[in-house]
Amino acid sequence: MSEERGAASELGRFAEPAMLVLVSLSDGPKHGYAIMTDVEAFAASSLGPGTLYAVLARLQAGGLIEPLESDDRRRPYRITAAGAAALSGQLAEMRRFLRIGRLRLRGASEGLDR
Amino acid sequence: MRAPRMHGLLMRCYPAPWRERYGSEFLALLEERPPGLRQALDILSAALDARIHPQLRPGPVLAAGPAIAPEIPSLSVPLRSYGVVPSPPAGAMSRRIFMRRMLGAGAALLSVEFLGGTLAFLWPQFRSGLGAKFRLGRLADIVVQQPSFANGWPYAFTPARAFLVNVPAAKELALGHDASIPDPTADQLLALWRRCPHLGCQVPQLCDSLKRYTCLCHGSTYNILGEKLKEGPAERGMDRFPVSIDEDGVVVIDTAVIVAGAANLGPEHLTFTDPFPYDIKCQ
Repeated sequence: MSEERGAASELGRFAEPAMLVLVSLSDGPKHGYAIMTDVEAFAASSLGPGTLYAVLARLQAGGLIEPLESDDRRRPYRITAAGAAALSGQLAEMRRFLRIGRLRLRGASEGLDR
Repeated sequence: MRAPRMHGLLMRCYPAPWRERYGSEFLALLEERPPGLRQALDILSAALDARIHPQLRPGPVLAAGPAIAPEIPSLSVPLRSYGVVPSPPAGAMSRRIFMRRMLGAGAALLSVEFLGGTLAFLWPQFRSGLGAKFRLGRLADIVVQQPSFANGWPYAFTPARAFLVNVPAAKELALGHDASIPDPTADQLLALWRRCPHLGCQVPQLCDSLKRYTCLCHGSTYNILGEKLKEGPAERGMDRFPVSIDEDGVVVIDTAVIVAGAANLGPEHLTFTDPFPYDIKCQ
């Protein structure tokens, strides 16, 4: 658990975009433009091109994604096994966060009803 | 401004290795999604980030062929690999290497300076310093320059740190007679090294009262021919250089040869005795 936090703090302000990119790549390799449109489709936020490539470089350096060959100028990227594991770890953490948040919110609303 | 031109300008904000690796796909992305002001700012900030973190440029390693083994490692393994930085790309220098090289270059430069300075300091200077042959000029010129030379006053020749003494005139001067001998022969000339044989202080010009030399450091006293008298700690008379007069009539002092002054053995061993007591010095 502490290692996950360490990983997040190493990514710094790119932690959240990194997760968006990992989620986007989870259902198959995509190139930069596809990642951007995909993220806009499933998340409320959008990724700037600079942020996107900063995140791609970090994820690739960490071995969480890898570039693929392409005939086109647009290069697709694929999530690696390590990337998938990291993402599932982060999602588990978020699930726990979600559960605690809901529990506390329910307690608060019950207190309000009284 | 036309769009491709602006894309090129934005790309230029990134460091060259980054452009090599990501340039074409990044331009493709910009063409598909022309950046607005917000995106341009985003790119600028990311370019700054890329310059700050040069180690985040992976080489153009392409995963070709089959997918990697679908083995799912335990959670901790990939997380530990987060942020692990590969060695810098070929051709790029890490900060540590750069600092080391600069330190090494600085130390080398300093050593060369020290070595050069030491050599220059130790290098013998035969042309101008002690050890050279000095041409003082013809006797007539010396007398013109210092008329009292004919009356026996030593001619101080600074480059050789020597007194040129006109011996017969000097003897007359020390005895209190007025004499003018403007043209002594070579064997009537004496070149005294103005270095006190005691500890090397420069011996001053004759004093008016006694016509003797008294070293200012410890009071070693010499007669007008540089012979040691009783006063002072020096053990011998002033050292001498050979003097000659060449075919042009020029007086030459050869400072390469140092003739040690005579030992101080008492008043009876002096070649010349002035009228003053043996044991007094210039005041």
